[in-house]
Amino acid sequence: MTELFSILHDYWKLLLIGSYPRGPLGGLAMTLLLSALSLMLTFPLSVLLALARTSGRVSLVRLSAAWVAVIRGIPLVMLIFWVYFLVPLLIGRNISGFATMLCTLIIYESAYICEIIRAGIQALPQGQHEAGRALGLNYIQCHLRVILPQALFNTLPSMLNQFVSIIKETSLGYVINVQELTFAASQVNGQVLTFPFQIFFILAAGYFLVCYAFTRLAHLLERSIQRKRLGQGHEGPPVPLAASPADVPQV
Amino acid sequence: MIIFSNVQKWYGRYHALKYITAEVKKGEVVVLLGPSGSGKSTLIRTVNRLEEVQEGQILFDGFDVTSTARHQDVNELRSRVGFVFQQFNLFPHMSALDNVTLAPIHVKGLKRSHARELAMTLLERVGMRHKAGSFPGQLSGGQQQRVAIARALAMEPPAMLFDEPTSALDPEMVGEVLSVMRDLANDGMTMMCVTHEMNFAREVADSIWFMDGGEIVEKSTPEVFFSNPTHDRAQRFLADRSKR
Repeated sequence: MTELFSILHDYWKLLLIGSYPRGPLGGLAMTLLLSALSLMLTFPLSVLLALARTSGRVSLVRLSAAWVAVIRGIPLVMLIFWVYFLVPLLIGRNISGFATMLCTLIIYESAYICEIIRAGIQALPQGQHEAGRALGLNYIQCHLRVILPQALFNTLPSMLNQFVSIIKETSLGYVINVQELTFAASQVNGQVLTFPFQIFFILAAGYFLVCYAFTRLAHLLERSIQRKRLGQGHEGPPVPLAASPADVPQV
Repeated sequence: MIIFSNVQKWYGRYHALKYITAEVKKGEVVVLLGPSGSGKSTLIRTVNRLEEVQEGQILFDGFDVTSTARHQDVNELRSRVGFVFQQFNLFPHMSALDNVTLAPIHVKGLKRSHARELAMTLLERVGMRHKAGSFPGQLSGGQQQRVAIARALAMEPPAMLFDEPTSALDPEMVGEVLSVMRDLANDGMTMMCVTHEMNFAREVADSIWFMDGGEIVEKSTPEVFFSNPTHDRAQRFLADRSKR
């Protein structure tokens, strides 16, 4: 137990931010940065893929469905290797481990987040789309104003769960030397040598705390939006926030 | 205003609409009656192309609905047809006011302030001005349907279509919606209305179209239809209704 605290005391900075500011950013900060950037960059791509999947145009539907099927059918580590070896060949120069991992996560997560958004869109009653179109809104306006605001709201919990998955997936960056939390922990282990159990316990606890915090945050966020929609100080039954808030299928 | 000529529609093999030829004149209120599955809703949904037809022609205010026009034209057409759904289909993430201003702002390009003014006038007209800031989830079914009517009116359509507007409502809320529709009819709005409210049909309709099996089997005035229906299917329909 004392070893645990002494390790934390000696290496907390390395685990939190790597060797920054003297060296590159790493540790937990890098894990979060990588996760957040991945989610932000994946999101618009996933919305487009989901729109293609629900467009009803055969070519678009097949193309996006194929993308999703292929990505979901291969392991993440393999995709990391593909990006690691292929991207330098394609663009003619080496890219950093960070950029490699970011590309990989965008490709990989686009398939999963696309499915979450697709489920959100399809869970809305047909009447919402019909009402939008009946008013004369075109496809883009109808999706921008009517469908996506509701569908994306409904998928918020799933989306944050997916963010938690991404946080855990970044640990695989370890295999291509991305300096994130797992990498930092193994660096510490390399220096201490004698207490692997304590070090990897700290690592596990670190991931758990962050992931649990985000799960809680998702819950609170959902509730606060709900209160806002209810109107301040309004008493009464909860308001349905979107046409079918109850069951967005979990992918 | 709305002219159907030889309109036919199939769902796969099912012949949903058969040789519909009829006309709704400007300012006329047409009520469509008939057993469920007779094609009433399908017919009014063809007017703004929520349903496509395979044969025949529909003219709406001089606009050929059935010609395979560009998407832009279909949107333009839809913006000129007021449509009220059985399930209201208000946008639950917007206030009543925003539901009404959405199309005027984004389809017509009205200024926000102008659209709000227009919306408030319309909400007043359907007796919902005091609930302008409420979200649909905070409103009763009857109130939601009245907001939906205001939303459809906001595009200042030359004609309004109602697809069983009171069928999803609790009985005590039917009256408030029908009274809004009655006011509209009195103001000279051209209306096509699918309903099961016989009293409304009797009082407000200028013409009754009775449908059965995808056909309009009887077209007459309410006086004739309710006292002396010619078609035996219509006679049975009315007999069934009066038994309840």
